[in-house]
Amino acid sequence: MAFTKSLSQAKQQISAKPWRQIDAILVSAVAAISILGCLMIYSASRSRLEALGISKTYFLERQIGFVIIGFVLMVLVMYVDYRKMRDMSPLLYIGVVVMLVLVLSPIGSTVNGTQGWFNLPGGFQLQPSEFSKFFLIIVLASYIAANEQFHAGALVKTLAIAGVPIGLVLLQPDLGTAMVLCAILIGMLSVAGTKGRYLLAMVLFAIVGVVGVLQLGVLKEYQVDRLTVFLNQSNDTGTSAYNLDQSKTAIGNGGFAGKGLFKGEQTNLSYVPEQHTDFIFTAIGEELGFIGSATVLALFGIIAWRIWRISRAAPDATGTLICIGVVSMFVFHVFENVGMTMGIMPITGIPLPFVSYGGSAILLMFMSIGLVNNIYMHRFE
Amino acid sequence: MTDQLREKRIGIVGVVIIAIFLTLISRLWYLQVATGEELAQQATSNRVRVIQEEAPRGRILDINGNVIVDNRITRSIVVDRVQLTDEKKKREVIAKLAKVLNIEKKDIESRIADQRISPYKPVPIAIDVPFDRIQYIKERQNEFTGVDAVPLPVRRYPNGSLAAHLVGYVGEINDEELKEKKGNYQLGETIGKSGVELAYEKYLRGKPSVKKVEIDVKGRVLRQISYEEPEPGNDVVLSLDIELQKVAESSLARQIEITRSVQDLGDKEKFSTFKAPGGSVVVVDPNNGFVKALASFPTFDPSKFVDGIPTPIWKELNDPKNAFPLSNRAVQGLYAPASTFKMITAIAGVESNIVTPGSAFNDTGSLKVSDRVFNNAGKKANGVINLSTALTVSSDTYFYDIGSKLWSLQFKNQPAGDAIQDTAREFGFGSVTGIPIGNESQGRIPDEEWKKKVNKENPEAFPYAQWLPGDNVNTSVGQGDTLVTPIQLSMAYGAFSNGGSLYQPQLVVEIRESQSKKVVKKIKPVLKRTIEISPSLLESMKSGFAGVITGEKGTAATAFSSFPRTIPVAGKTGTAEVSGKQDTSIFVGFTPINKPNYVAVAIIEEAGWGAGTAAPIVKRTFEGAYGLPVTDVIFAPPPGGAD
Repeated sequence: MAFTKSLSQAKQQISAKPWRQIDAILVSAVAAISILGCLMIYSASRSRLEALGISKTYFLERQIGFVIIGFVLMVLVMYVDYRKMRDMSPLLYIGVVVMLVLVLSPIGSTVNGTQGWFNLPGGFQLQPSEFSKFFLIIVLASYIAANEQFHAGALVKTLAIAGVPIGLVLLQPDLGTAMVLCAILIGMLSVAGTKGRYLLAMVLFAIVGVVGVLQLGVLKEYQVDRLTVFLNQSNDTGTSAYNLDQSKTAIGNGGFAGKGLFKGEQTNLSYVPEQHTDFIFTAIGEELGFIGSATVLALFGIIAWRIWRISRAAPDATGTLICIGVVSMFVFHVFENVGMTMGIMPITGIPLPFVSYGGSAILLMFMSIGLVNNIYMHRFE
Repeated sequence: MTDQLREKRIGIVGVVIIAIFLTLISRLWYLQVATGEELAQQATSNRVRVIQEEAPRGRILDINGNVIVDNRITRSIVVDRVQLTDEKKKREVIAKLAKVLNIEKKDIESRIADQRISPYKPVPIAIDVPFDRIQYIKERQNEFTGVDAVPLPVRRYPNGSLAAHLVGYVGEINDEELKEKKGNYQLGETIGKSGVELAYEKYLRGKPSVKKVEIDVKGRVLRQISYEEPEPGNDVVLSLDIELQKVAESSLARQIEITRSVQDLGDKEKFSTFKAPGGSVVVVDPNNGFVKALASFPTFDPSKFVDGIPTPIWKELNDPKNAFPLSNRAVQGLYAPASTFKMITAIAGVESNIVTPGSAFNDTGSLKVSDRVFNNAGKKANGVINLSTALTVSSDTYFYDIGSKLWSLQFKNQPAGDAIQDTAREFGFGSVTGIPIGNESQGRIPDEEWKKKVNKENPEAFPYAQWLPGDNVNTSVGQGDTLVTPIQLSMAYGAFSNGGSLYQPQLVVEIRESQSKKVVKKIKPVLKRTIEISPSLLESMKSGFAGVITGEKGTAATAFSSFPRTIPVAGKTGTAEVSGKQDTSIFVGFTPINKPNYVAVAIIEEAGWGAGTAAPIVKRTFEGAYGLPVTDVIFAPPPGGAD
């Protein structure tokens, strides 16, 4: 019976109970990768925690908490029609800019030389630049979609809109997030119909910008060091080279089949720094080997594919653009994070989606999936 | 924007995504599958570095298996210098660490700058870091580059400073030790520095884990080649009984405290009290030479050395004002044995037929030897006495006479003239006992040869090369240039009281595996020699020594008045004159008299009569040995003030 439903019947059913019509494959892939993430966090952090006499499930428990909160947030985001968010976009934009300004004030706190956190009670920290990605996607999608003829003037305005938060993030300085924002912008502009040569110019500008930031000394020396080490891996003796070496060694040590879950030598000996956060992929590489790592990449691929697919099924341009923004952000995160652990991208503190330990990033990713599902539920309207 | 263009662009985005994923997968394949073997081949041309991690150190136990020293795990903060080469970043991290850990910046700097520690090993900055500090740092790993919190095993002393001189302490290996150990050790490792920790280092240390890593030309670690598991150190079981040790230590400290409030009657001008800066107690089993207790005062807290010795503590420990708490007076302290040496002179006198145990001697309180008059303590006359009584009342004159007569034989070049020196050496004086710990002093038994030698070497201090009658007379009562250590005295009295068997002192009964308790090595008593003492002489001397405790005129009768008479104790007091200082208080006791199980020696510097300070300490120690209630004795001068 269900197979013979007409399109109008389907539409009716969905508009009656839209939340029941989520993309099950997308959500399943996200759930699978989140569970795997928890396992790997446990594996990468337990021996160090145990050695310290801290409960070895300390990070695991917190991460499970983040995932649960993330799920709840995802459902909430799904429930609020994305077109309502679109209508509120000027407000959202002001909110983002205010938060990014506030974090630069003494209210914010500095970690690793980056002024990008608000300290919350209970030892938690909130990173507004993470959430700026989510809101900027909505704001840009709304603005671009509202300008049916995307001419040069609209392009300049779009660049200005995106430029303010990107500039504020660079002031922290958080080059990693700025790069993600640029990736989102370029991805969305390309689908908006920007001329190919403009896009090329923008990509070049972004690269020149990154190099310029490095040269102008905006970043601390070690940040530059971290970013550039991948360019000359064999000549560097510094600390960043050490990180990268350890990272590649761990991944290489996994071989084809891996050392087995919880059995990674490099992982258990705590060789790789920040392994439960930015370098979590090294634990996957070592313990699960090529088979496991490729499976993880495949899961990421499925998520990207589903989001990309929904962008085509979206009922309006705003929906399409949001999906493109999310998929650009998501894929750039994966590319940059996995790429840096393997020495093909600069080392910046960008977390691996759904896997790296960290509240802000997990919440952002779940909210973004919620947003995509939101669009999917309205696909027949 | 046309839908067509949008579709096309979405398609391009999809292609880019596919390209990105393919790139990642290829790189992954390259790292994990394709270059695996190539890397292995390349690695063989690289150099290998060996990194050792210490194994858990063996425990030190008492004879009943009670723990004196074991290990505990401390939460320590270490800095990995490989990650901190950037100077600016280093300064930042040091400043933050100093604040969080509440330690001086320059202390951290000097630790990090210590080039002697392998650069592949994180440098410990602080130990016993509170949990909340660790958590603070762990939650801010980004701010603390290269900083890690690791568990570090350190020595634990459940009984505090108990037997500190005996067990010794551990510390980080220094350059000298490193050279001596020739490659077995690495910088930063812990090594025994004194006492049993030093003497039994070989057993306590175990086998460190050995990690071989490959490094490239620039010194970067490429991968780990091999890993050998550590073997934990073996437990060392001492002959010590911690209960007896506690009594010995507390008695020593308590009696010194009492003595310090007693006025020195020998000082007629200043009415000063005794200084009693330090002393020691040794309790041994005369049947085998095993040490049952060994205490030295003042003492130190070995747990203070766990994290290297902080400079102020080191200064304090080496300040002469504090009477050198690190020196083990029981084996290093050199003292004139005074009247306790009469045991030797008595045997020498009888062996050389100068006296017999029964021969009578009229003690008039003084003896004129050539042109010099030698007096009893307090010029007290003891009347007609025999050997036994001479020991009980500690007649000096009786032994002066032997010394003087032996000198005559020496003068005639008769070998028997050296009876005192020969007997003393037979009983182990003048040479090290061979106790396995602590820079033992040799002591000195002076004779003609020695006097010639020192005169030649230092004519100003020793103007006479000739061995004079007075020299032999002084030696006969353990004064003059005679010097012994407490451990020598205990072994000599051990040999006397057991009928002539001189043992080497031993501290350790066995060495066993920590987990399985399997005995690795059992230490047997070492008999150095058997000295012939005729039974009649032994009996008469023992009765003299018994009289010291129980006789009416016994010099230690007051000190032992509260000790139960049912337990037979014998002993000898000694009060040594030291030029420029107050008298040394000495006592040797053994119990039971016929077949003793305990010999105890107490020697306290600048503490007056042997009966006053040292005898009460031995009394208390014996009370402890027999499980009796331990009672105080308020400074007990000998009856009649003789010694």
